[in-house]
Amino acid sequence: MYDRRVLMLLGLVAVLAVALLLPAIAPDSATTNIAVFTVMYVGLATAWNIMGGYTGYISLGHAGFFGFGSYALGLLLAKLGVAGGYEPFLFVPVAGVLTAVLAAVVGWFALRTRAATFVIVTIAFMFMLQLLAENLTSLTGGGAGLAFPNPPWRGGFFNIPFYYAMLALALVGLAASWWIRRSKFGLGLLAIRDDEDKALAVGVPAGAFKLTAFVISAALVGMIGGVYGYYVTFIYPQFVVDPLIGISMVLMVFLGGLGTLWGPVLGALILEPAQLWLAYNYGVSRLYLVLYSAVFLLVILFMPRGIIPSASELIARRRARAPATRAGATP
Amino acid sequence: MILVLEAAVLGVLTGGVYALMASGLTLIFGVMRIINVGHGALVVLGAYLSFVLWRNLNIDPFVSLVVTMPVMFVLGVILQVVFIRPLKADREALSVLVTYALALGIEGLLGFFFTSNYVQITAWYDTASFPIGNFRITYVYIYGFLLCLAILGAIFLMLYRTTFGGAIRATMLNRTAAQLVGIDVDRVSAVAFGIGMATAAAGGVVFGITNTFNPGSHYDLISRLLTIIVLGGLGSLRGAIIAALIMLVIEDITAVLISPVWADFVFFVVLVVVLLVRPQGLFGLRVRERL
Amino acid sequence: MRRALIAIVAGAGLALTACGGGTATATPSPGTPITIGVSVSLTGDFSSDGPALVKGYDLWAEDVNKKGGLLGHPVTMKYVDDLSSTTQVVTNYQNLISSNHVALVFGPYSSLLTKPAATVVDRLGYAFPEPAGGAPSVFALNLHSLFFVQPAAIEDNLVSYTNWLLALPADQRPKTAAYATEDDPFTQPQIDKARKLLEAGGIQTVSYKVYPAETTDFTPLALKVASSNADAVILGTQVPDAIAFVKTFIAQHYNPKTLIETAGPDQGAQYSDKLGANTEGIMVPAGWTSGSQAFNNPTFVAEYIAKYGGTAADISADSAEGYSVGQVVEQAATKAGSIDNQKLIDTLHTGTYQTVQGPMGFDSVGRPQGGVGVFVEQWQNGNAVFVYPAAVAAAQPEYPKHDWQ
Repeated sequence: MYDRRVLMLLGLVAVLAVALLLPAIAPDSATTNIAVFTVMYVGLATAWNIMGGYTGYISLGHAGFFGFGSYALGLLLAKLGVAGGYEPFLFVPVAGVLTAVLAAVVGWFALRTRAATFVIVTIAFMFMLQLLAENLTSLTGGGAGLAFPNPPWRGGFFNIPFYYAMLALALVGLAASWWIRRSKFGLGLLAIRDDEDKALAVGVPAGAFKLTAFVISAALVGMIGGVYGYYVTFIYPQFVVDPLIGISMVLMVFLGGLGTLWGPVLGALILEPAQLWLAYNYGVSRLYLVLYSAVFLLVILFMPRGIIPSASELIARRRARAPATRAGATP
Repeated sequence: MILVLEAAVLGVLTGGVYALMASGLTLIFGVMRIINVGHGALVVLGAYLSFVLWRNLNIDPFVSLVVTMPVMFVLGVILQVVFIRPLKADREALSVLVTYALALGIEGLLGFFFTSNYVQITAWYDTASFPIGNFRITYVYIYGFLLCLAILGAIFLMLYRTTFGGAIRATMLNRTAAQLVGIDVDRVSAVAFGIGMATAAAGGVVFGITNTFNPGSHYDLISRLLTIIVLGGLGSLRGAIIAALIMLVIEDITAVLISPVWADFVFFVVLVVVLLVRPQGLFGLRVRERL
Repeated sequence: MRRALIAIVAGAGLALTACGGGTATATPSPGTPITIGVSVSLTGDFSSDGPALVKGYDLWAEDVNKKGGLLGHPVTMKYVDDLSSTTQVVTNYQNLISSNHVALVFGPYSSLLTKPAATVVDRLGYAFPEPAGGAPSVFALNLHSLFFVQPAAIEDNLVSYTNWLLALPADQRPKTAAYATEDDPFTQPQIDKARKLLEAGGIQTVSYKVYPAETTDFTPLALKVASSNADAVILGTQVPDAIAFVKTFIAQHYNPKTLIETAGPDQGAQYSDKLGANTEGIMVPAGWTSGSQAFNNPTFVAEYIAKYGGTAADISADSAEGYSVGQVVEQAATKAGSIDNQKLIDTLHTGTYQTVQGPMGFDSVGRPQGGVGVFVEQWQNGNAVFVYPAAVAAAQPEYPKHDWQ
């Protein structure tokens, strides 16, 4: 038992080391760019999982928080006249707090509904945010977009600060997810997922718990949205409040394993590079969407519980069988 | 004032089309408890089928429904059997992903065959109009509205006057109980999905005449359709029809009275306000929903 | 453990300093084939314009290869799809430059995508000649490496039209005007400028509406315009709304004296096959027309028809704009005697370049200079022809516009 734990810890350190050193291993901007987006989705999927995976409330509107965080940071920087460079990163937590406030209001309302209605209400909120970004032109610039300050970094170096910013947020998300899973709060969330009425009956403060999970999840997504906006330097309502971003994080969680700690990470590491690569290489032939959808369908039909639960079940079954056959016992 | 009245008339007429599309979506939800996020893509697929028949064989788009509705029905049954039926655990969440994947696949295939250029079905009645006072109504809206009335009427007849309709209603009310009394729920589900797709084909024709469209047009459609069925109450056919009319009338009036930029926004505000008062929607039953 | 951590941090620090150098662009040796990379929208919101742009680029590449290549380098075009999304457009230009090592890059479609793309290309030290991003906000980026290859910044696109309207005899001149525009960096600046000029000229505004670019049902908007009964209708549209507005006007039997749309009527068959004979009299601002006698234009038109079929009227202005980008780069390369990006950037800021859209030069942020400007084009008997100013006009403007048929 002890050595397995050491092994896992070593593995973890190795993964972390690779993640930290990646820009040194592959410094060209094509690779670091993909790394920025991949780590971004690791963070997004992990954050979404805190709500969707632990409580079972499927939000398809998290792209709204992504976009809101993006606009919050962009507007803060513009109003305060912050110049491009490292300084804007200091305002990312502020964008997170603003997103948390919004999420508290949205959550208070949306969590009155359950199941399918909740899914659709989150979609409606996302579109409302998108329309606000479009229509409040004097604030957001509307369809003409909002410019972020342009950092002075040239060449391949440009991507690296963004990579570390995204990585830091992803690690914060993972730490939060890990802590929640082990806490009493997390147990409460899982009880809500299994049967909300029963959880209420045994004294879980379901309303407060759900709202807290929702706010944590949204705040993380909002901060990541802020860094994204700064990275692409120009944001538009339809590109940051993009339903595709919202559904991508959900898909990654399902692919890796809903409600697990590492599932969202694995899902993001597989899907985002695959998606960028497919679009880059097959986009012109227009078959990109068909390929993407085929992969998508195969995964859901053959691994509906995600990679990590399916794999660990397989391992557990092997393990259970091995000693049994050795002992020659019959079940 | 005249302008508001015009907008209201237009809202009712286009609302009819949305009612038809939304009724298929809410029927599917009612029977299977799944949200078919691919419904918008199916409407666009229906529009393209009619577009091909019209462009290549010169068949009138309304007449082409004789072909496209049965084709889409069969396709719907196949899709349900292959992709929806195998889902067991986490059905509601997984079905969203599966139907979304289907939407992407359809969009990709349509893009492959038709490119992403905007197309539109044209017919003499898409610009011909008749006057009512100062205002003129285009024939296509009237024809579209009548078509929707006819199809919705047929659906209601089927639901309330046939044995099979009874089975569908029983399944909508309580899936497990329906199974217990010997209803083949799987068969009912497949047929309901087929009916949903056939209505999508019909909605697609009117959509394809009144809008320019390309394979990516489904995103906008589905967000509206989902809002409509939640407003009406998930699984309520009556609710979907009334909600569609209310939404489109309010939207069109907002467009002329305040500004078109706020029309879509009001659409969602109405939903939020209604849900604050009635979380189950206008006609939804307060059921204990579980994931 | 502690030591390992320090080592990791130190390593990361080293890596950072090592990467600070930036990307040096190597100039390929003479005679070797080169690739030119472009990210275009083949799926998503702008997907109707992307393919037309590709046709223009391809035609130019074919022409330049017939002449022995770009300074002796045979040219291959590499297209990647940006899905009309910022994430992908940013990814694409970095991949093209750092991974595919293309020699040059050309611009995508639309001001929206040009902005994020231009900042990426600029920081990687490449020149960015682009055919479709001419909004004021593009030049506000202050990029020295960007060149907008159209005869004028798009803000001024409707100036020829307003000049023509205001020059009409007072008794014929429209008294009222209705405006509607998409909230888009391409369309709205044009409409706002036209409105300012016409109001100064005494034409009263009876309706002005901005609508979101995402709108799909244009009927209520078109009804609003029709009910204003304005003499002049000025619309900031792209292809789908350009068609939808006209259809509603026809249905409402609303016949303004003049109707102009910022984009749509310049798209050849994509526009006319949906409206048939009712295109008659509709105007569009255009820097290019198939009948123009500008540099090499007759050859371009002939080659286009030979390669893609159809008639001159089917050719989209996007194709001509793409072709012009190639022409500008070709002349700059010859002048600089090199295809090195830095040399091209320096060269493009001086002198005048000949294109199928007429001659043009570029100021320090890439705004086109000294171009012939944008003219008024009008559909007459199934063809779009220049009608104003008189110097380039192939026909008299038809005014007032014929009633719908």
